[in-house]
Amino acid sequence: MFSVEANFLDQLKDSIGLFLPETVLIATFLLSLILDLIFRKSRTLTGIVTAIGFVVAGICLIGQTGETAFIFSRMLVVDPFALFFKFVILLSGLIVVLMSFFSKELYETTEGVGEYFTLITGMTIGMFLLASASNLIMIYLAIETMSISSYILAGYTKEIRRASEASLKYVIFGAVSSGIMIYGMSILFGLTGTLNLFDINTFLLSNEVNMVPLMLSGLMILAGFAYKISAVPFHFWTPDVYEGAPVTISALLSVASKAAGFAVLIRFLKSAFIDPTLSSDVAWNTISSIDWQYIIAILAVVTMTVGNLVAVWQTNVKRLLAYSSIAHAGYLLMGVVVMNEIGIAAILLYFFAYMIMNLGAFYVVMLIANKTGSEELDDYQGLGHSAPVLGVCMTIFLISLTGLPPTFGFIGKLYIFSAVLDSGLIWLAVVGVLNSVVSLYYYAKVFRNMYFRGMDPPKEPMTFSYGSMILLFLLAIPTVLFGVYFTPILAWAKSSVEIFFG
Amino acid sequence: MINAIPLEYYLGLASIIFLIGTVGVLVRRNAIIVFMSIELMLNSVNLTFVGFSTYLGDTAGQVFVFFVMAVAAAEAAIGLAIVLALFRNKQTIYVDEVNVLKW
Amino acid sequence: MFEIFGVGPLTLITFLPMLGIILILLIPAGKDEQSKKASTNIYRWATVFFTFLQLVIAVVIYINFDLSLTGVNDINGMQFVEKVRWIEVEGLPMLGDLRIDYFVGIDGISAPMILLTAIICFVATFASWSIGKAVKGYFIMYLLLDLGMMGVFVSLDFFLFYLFWELMLLPMYFLIGIWGGPRKEYAAIKFFIYTLFGSLFMLLVMIALYFAVGSFNMLDMMDPSKYDPGSLLSGIGTTWRYIAFGALFIGFAIKVPTVPFHTWLPDAHVEAPTAISVILAGVLLKMGTYGMLRISWPMFPDAVYYFQWYIALIGVVSIIYGAFCALGQHKVGKRDFKKLIAYSSVSHMGFVMLGMAAMNTEGMVGAIFQMFNHGTITAMLFMIVGVVYDRTHLRGLDDFGGLANKMPIYTGVMMIAFFAAIGLPGLSGFISEVLIFLGAFQTFPVMTAISAFAIVIGAAYMLWALQKIFFGKLPDRWKGPWDPTGTKYKHDDLNGIELTALVPLAVIVIYLGINPNPITGMMTSSVNHLIELVKAGGQVAAGM
Repeated sequence: MFSVEANFLDQLKDSIGLFLPETVLIATFLLSLILDLIFRKSRTLTGIVTAIGFVVAGICLIGQTGETAFIFSRMLVVDPFALFFKFVILLSGLIVVLMSFFSKELYETTEGVGEYFTLITGMTIGMFLLASASNLIMIYLAIETMSISSYILAGYTKEIRRASEASLKYVIFGAVSSGIMIYGMSILFGLTGTLNLFDINTFLLSNEVNMVPLMLSGLMILAGFAYKISAVPFHFWTPDVYEGAPVTISALLSVASKAAGFAVLIRFLKSAFIDPTLSSDVAWNTISSIDWQYIIAILAVVTMTVGNLVAVWQTNVKRLLAYSSIAHAGYLLMGVVVMNEIGIAAILLYFFAYMIMNLGAFYVVMLIANKTGSEELDDYQGLGHSAPVLGVCMTIFLISLTGLPPTFGFIGKLYIFSAVLDSGLIWLAVVGVLNSVVSLYYYAKVFRNMYFRGMDPPKEPMTFSYGSMILLFLLAIPTVLFGVYFTPILAWAKSSVEIFFG
Repeated sequence: MINAIPLEYYLGLASIIFLIGTVGVLVRRNAIIVFMSIELMLNSVNLTFVGFSTYLGDTAGQVFVFFVMAVAAAEAAIGLAIVLALFRNKQTIYVDEVNVLKW
Repeated sequence: MFEIFGVGPLTLITFLPMLGIILILLIPAGKDEQSKKASTNIYRWATVFFTFLQLVIAVVIYINFDLSLTGVNDINGMQFVEKVRWIEVEGLPMLGDLRIDYFVGIDGISAPMILLTAIICFVATFASWSIGKAVKGYFIMYLLLDLGMMGVFVSLDFFLFYLFWELMLLPMYFLIGIWGGPRKEYAAIKFFIYTLFGSLFMLLVMIALYFAVGSFNMLDMMDPSKYDPGSLLSGIGTTWRYIAFGALFIGFAIKVPTVPFHTWLPDAHVEAPTAISVILAGVLLKMGTYGMLRISWPMFPDAVYYFQWYIALIGVVSIIYGAFCALGQHKVGKRDFKKLIAYSSVSHMGFVMLGMAAMNTEGMVGAIFQMFNHGTITAMLFMIVGVVYDRTHLRGLDDFGGLANKMPIYTGVMMIAFFAAIGLPGLSGFISEVLIFLGAFQTFPVMTAISAFAIVIGAAYMLWALQKIFFGKLPDRWKGPWDPTGTKYKHDDLNGIELTALVPLAVIVIYLGINPNPITGMMTSSVNHLIELVKAGGQVAAGM
């Protein structure tokens, strides 16, 4: 597979050109590492460098609009589908970096935050590679690049005991699931004799393979991805890690890491197991007789139901949001079940909405924890009056997570349900709807505590810096705005899947 | 000679090692031993890859093995560092005693 | 059609509250007592101003309303139409070109509801005078609720309709939850979850209809020829159409509410503050039946015919069950006056269901007229309870007695409301109930006869309450003035604010009792058209 072709150097040159965003991120990674060593005392310099690096990488990404190419000997794919996910990853990374500037937890319990920003960059590089990986080696390496950075980040505030505990659980679960995943990969390699997803597809199309090992390897690989998107039954780490990790990292894991997981899950299923010669109207023309659609549907139903039902009993807001993120993985998996253009477009749209509203919710949790030092639901009583702006914004984010209009979250849900109904899986849509009703109950608990309780005596008003408020509005306003006018995002999501399927 | 030993033997051995590793992760409580079990799992994967690679005459599998070894080393280093941090906080490396967070 | 700054009257009446919200947001609440009091007054009067403007526009719409036009599924029969492309994304995978319009317009079915909403929102502002806690937030939520309700009645695009429909939930949740009674949290979340449960099924049907028709335009959805033959909901009398109708019906029936989806209503009414009870009973409940007339009936005529008997049955069960529960309030539980009215609402909305199932002009006109009348009458009843509750913080049926001597004007106003609720001839409630009976008797004679029995029970519980509260002996503890210090209530009887709220409603109830034409005349042509439409659709189904 590494055969040297005549124009190999030309290809390499093209590849390097298309690898520019990642190169920028790697340069940012190195630069922030070095600067941190030189200016040990400065606590924001690396953060600023990281933010600038992300912005530059974003500009480079815009330059790739519409490109479709294999790069580095078909190790990576550059296409609009990957581009969309890269944007989501980069944007959420940028927002998390900005959030981190206001995090008291981070600045008061650690000696230096230089490595913190460096590691976020490292994680972003891993996720970028994962979004465009088309080779099993690349998938494994990208997952590990992202995971190893996130293991450290989860326990970054190591003086807080629950943080190192969260980190330990994360690393153990993570290592086991990636072990299972590569075992599956090794079997798949043995069956097909190749590591490239498209070659696997070609091989499966033209050869008869034994179904049992194929199914086994597929399930094992799916387990690895399910771990990243925290789908039940691979979700056990999620609540613990989200609760123990710094809020900013919980936010990053819940959005960016999930986005990368979904990107690779969709690409793997689509590229390796689905017959490309048939029209995209019929979603699941799987090559083998294995009914992947059914398996994913079960996974989706179990994931959202468990996530929503367990969330009802939570008393810690971070933990509640962790279960809510599990439930959202379930909603997103409904889009994977559909797997045709409308399904994938719905996932992309939903992800963009999910990014804004979920980061917003975590951001409010962080701002409140800065002032009260608590993330317990009971300590949220009366906050609607002592911090009215935060209360209103939190309500907007939670309403959006529930999927009520006029918020962006509603548009996302609308599209997911449209996709599911269109493919005729009415039972799945009904399950999704019932889950939304359950989710309202626990989201409402948060703003119930903020507004209905602890009114008398009124608490002291809280004050927040202008910078932190601007960031909050940057998240809250789009949540409502895209809820009533979503044409640009929808058009973008549409164009991102067209070429992926073309 | 590799050709003298059938592929099935390699795969059988690898799957047994993988199972031992999995069971080890599930039942052992000492974090160090859990990490060793994970190493067992990864090594069984390596064995499978090498076995298939030789059988198919494709070096890609062996390339994968190199990456797995490098990543496993990195992962173990991180894991042990975290165990160390936890030990400083809590004076234990037994995972069942780590229970500030409910499961 | 008249316009102001290029904006049509329906857009204006819908989005006026938004201006009020912005104005209230801009005025700070103030720190010390003096400025707090001043700002509170500004909030109140700003709300009065904007709801009054709405009322003025509603009256202008009423005056310019063309009685001969039909509407329903006929775009040329719709009045004050505004249609602007809102969302447009072309060439979407599977969905084709996605187009959502800002499409508003009214016909004879929605016009009375617009008028009702404007009246109720205006008078309920005066019932909000006793709100003392977080006044700023209260009036913002109040105006947002107002906006949502107006929006539901003017929308002709399903997507827009759904947006407004859901937009009301959140303000209602907060209005009950923050300013409500002791069990407000329970009542608020119960209301929220019940309604969301129903509306999410509506969402699924909306998506399915979109796939069938290719647009969210309600008028297109009423036209069988626009349906894509391969879609789930195409055809006539198919199982999927019945299921979709059932899902929609549950969504609307929860809002009405009919038995067995009614249990949220007594809780919400008992806990909600007076003004919110007024709006809940006066406008919100009508959305359920309005939704059926606007969406279920014309879009699924085959299913309406198929389920006609069951719909009537649900109506009759609601009538009888609601009446007995209201009667029971005299004997069991906390003997709460508000709960009695809440159950009487279930009963009266059951009449609307019965009239709608009758499928003839009398029944249907009666149903819509009953919606209007129930809105005004029940709003009065809740305000009447609010008056004594503000003074004593009690509203038990056994807590009072002999108020007729203490508060003569109050008793006078209240008699009008009570007798209208019973259905006494000469008051508006009588006419609508008679129309419903006339219509329903042609279709369902037995059920109509049974439901007529509820009139007797209604008279029983209402007169009993009247006797307990207003006649008999005044308890010793109420002998003195309500407010001895005289700071809040200068004299015992109704004050100016309360009179402003109650007298207009009383006038409407009496006037419509003598001359119902101003309202019934508005709807007749639309109703006839709707019945023709449903009959045509239903006969095709029956012929198969």
